[in-house]
Amino acid sequence: MNYPLLNKTAAVIVFLALWEILPRFGLVNPMFIPPLSAVLATGLHLVENGELVTHTLVSLERAFGGLLAAMVVGFPLGLVLGGGFPRLREAVGPLMELFAQANPLILAHIIIFFLGIGQSARIFIIAWLCLWPITFSVIDGIRSADPLLLKAAGSLGLGRVGLFTRVVLPSSAPTIFTGVRLAAGYAFIMLIASEMMGASSGLGWLVAQGQENYHVTRIFAGAAVITTLAVATDGLLRLVERRVVVWKVNTE
Amino acid sequence: MATHGDGTHKEDLKIVLKDIGQVYHLKKSADGSREFQALKDINLQVRAGEFVALVGPSGCGKSTLLDILAGLTRPSSGAVYIDGKEITGPALDRGIVLQGYALFPWRTVRRNVEFGLEIKKVPKSERRGISDHFIRLVGLEGFEEHYPHELSGGMKQRVAIARALAYDPEVLLMDEPFAAVDAQTRETLQDELLRIWDETKKTIIFVTHSIDEAVFLADRVAIFSSNPGTFREIVEVDLPRPRHNSDIRSSAEFGWVRHRIWELLQSRPSQECREGGNIVVKDAISPSATI
Repeated sequence: MNYPLLNKTAAVIVFLALWEILPRFGLVNPMFIPPLSAVLATGLHLVENGELVTHTLVSLERAFGGLLAAMVVGFPLGLVLGGGFPRLREAVGPLMELFAQANPLILAHIIIFFLGIGQSARIFIIAWLCLWPITFSVIDGIRSADPLLLKAAGSLGLGRVGLFTRVVLPSSAPTIFTGVRLAAGYAFIMLIASEMMGASSGLGWLVAQGQENYHVTRIFAGAAVITTLAVATDGLLRLVERRVVVWKVNTE
Repeated sequence: MATHGDGTHKEDLKIVLKDIGQVYHLKKSADGSREFQALKDINLQVRAGEFVALVGPSGCGKSTLLDILAGLTRPSSGAVYIDGKEITGPALDRGIVLQGYALFPWRTVRRNVEFGLEIKKVPKSERRGISDHFIRLVGLEGFEEHYPHELSGGMKQRVAIARALAYDPEVLLMDEPFAAVDAQTRETLQDELLRIWDETKKTIIFVTHSIDEAVFLADRVAIFSSNPGTFREIVEVDLPRPRHNSDIRSSAEFGWVRHRIWELLQSRPSQECREGGNIVVKDAISPSATI
């Protein structure tokens, strides 16, 4: 018997069991919260008719597209601002804080006006929110490099570029991973929001359809898949993090 | 005249410090801008293979002087010569060991030791043999693939020493390297350092708080006074070598040299503390081994 595993999964198992039992015995209204088995049946049905796979793929494309776009922009932006341009950082810092707090959904109609109602508008909305934790974490990571390590490496006559690649970048890896994982979480939250307005596909749309047609099991099936995807993505990132940031493993 | 372990005189000069001065411009206060003279009139000649310790109170400029030697700081006046050539910046002819270990946490013991070799562009095939040698020299065989967080403080400092030695600098600069380890480990590391010094014949400049440590290790001890930081006196430590694995610490001669240095540090004129304005040196040096 693996006790640590039991410890970690016990709460989830109890939760799933209650989800099944409470509606079955009428302790909660199954109209609003159908039992787990009913949700699974609907999920299975959606898998069989291919709907679920199609919508999942569309959603994944949006979520990862947005996250990837945020990384493509955020990494260099963070490197420039965290690296050698303290004046520029001071100048644009407040603006970035402002942008980070601006919810792109508010501006959804304007974004759609510019990018159309298709895939790119949704990816843009996701990327916008993911961009800031990534950029800020890169800036923080770079700036928090241990001065003692820089001194030790600098005493060997290492130049700016060498110090950057051999000391600053590796020491910022843990901070950057935190930012990327945060962004990945945002990506899935924004995914659903963006798919609930004017979309005709995706898991968010599946949930929205369920709401409109009182298909409660569809809502829950969609929600379960989205949650699983988000958890799996975070797990994957953790796995990569553990392989890259070997020296922080024991502190978690 | 101090002699090396094998009894030969080594008269060729390795390091020459000539009229080193260091002035910091402090931020403007109510009475206008002020200058702080951290170092003044530092002169020292170090023979090849010599072990020189620098002792003095906190804030006397010991570490600043070491930074200048490392080439990390340029002195306001004067110059440092190594083998007759003025140094203009950091280079691989000097190895540095710092108090806080400064190991790269993302590198294994081996890769930490090989860091300088990579910068020196030593081919990978050769690096392994060299790192093997120095890891063995500091007694860490079997820990090659460990990460720094898996090591004790004393072991980390051994890695730092191996790293500084691996790219074969002729001068080793050590800034209170054993200050963060416990007293017992500290004595072991001191023994080890003397053994390694014997084997590698490096020229060592060793900054420390501890009079005992300075007397045990060094051929000469340069005693700092502060405000401005300058050498009060340079004391020859004429104790027999090899000193490691010996009970020399409890010998009468050892006690006598230690006492003399202690007196020199105590005899600090009282006005010195006031000269620096608000910069007051609070730490008094005690004669005990650790501070």
